[in-house]
Amino acid sequence: MSAKSETPNPETPGALWRRNLPVWAALMALLALSAWAAYWPFGRIDTALGFAIAGVKTALVALVFMQLKHASGLVRIVAACGLFWAAILFTLTLADVLSRMVNR
Amino acid sequence: MSGADVEARLREPWSDLETDHDTAFARQRAGATFGIWVFLASEALFFGALFLTYTATRLAHPEAFAAAGRETNIVYGTLNTAILLTSSLTMAVASQAAEKGLFRRMTLWCLAATAALGLAFLVVKGFEYREDIEKHLVPGARFALSQAPAQLFFGFYWLVTVVHAIHLGIGIGLVARLIEKGRRDPEFLKENPQVEVTALYWHLVDLVWVFLYPMLYLPGRSG
Repeated sequence: MSAKSETPNPETPGALWRRNLPVWAALMALLALSAWAAYWPFGRIDTALGFAIAGVKTALVALVFMQLKHASGLVRIVAACGLFWAAILFTLTLADVLSRMVNR
Repeated sequence: MSGADVEARLREPWSDLETDHDTAFARQRAGATFGIWVFLASEALFFGALFLTYTATRLAHPEAFAAAGRETNIVYGTLNTAILLTSSLTMAVASQAAEKGLFRRMTLWCLAATAALGLAFLVVKGFEYREDIEKHLVPGARFALSQAPAQLFFGFYWLVTVVHAIHLGIGIGLVARLIEKGRRDPEFLKENPQVEVTALYWHLVDLVWVFLYPMLYLPGRSG
């Protein structure tokens, strides 16, 4: 599409790596924290932290590696739809499961 | 990209659009991205249902799941998470370079690294499976743990890791296909939506594992 790019592309391999390597480093740090935190003697907080870290990792991968940060509105809606319907699935099922556990 | 290159990449129905080829190709790209995201959203629901089964079962049997989680090999699990996250880095760089039509050699090397890391994951998983079988962590008559619900944990473990490995195998095949076509035709990878579609699928398979890691490897470590 040379007709469309008026300015010559300033992208270099270095720029590509500089954009993505910090995200990778953050993902590795989060993985290390996650493995370490599992051994903390805080019971349920450890579990919550493990899944919270998975959520942060997902956000990093989705926004930067999967380029949701620069995606069109339509694509963002589709991505959000997956989570939205999964959230309904979890909410309704867990409302049932957890209320039974409370009443037991 | 020259006009002839764009025309060669256009597919139906975009090739029939009554616009210039560049506009039609831009729409084809947008359609490919939209399509793969619809697929990924449906995959999120597919794995979401499996994860929900795990969550409900774990809530009902927290002690058995902690005991079962202690039996998985956290070294293999952590190593494999690092391998997949690194493969996502090389895949992202390959995709972003191809999207801009730049650095064909680096794109090919990044794709090769991605496929190699995917294979490395499967090799590590194979060693882990061998250890799991030796430790009798397969649900059934000779299961190692005394708590019955621990078998539910390992039923989930085998089902979901095998389904994930199948997904990863498909991803390795798709990446290998891009490498082969990119090697034969110097122009193939440049601005080709197939690279982005493959990359997005690869990242999703990585993200499924990111959630499996705390589910399978981290329970019961502090107890």
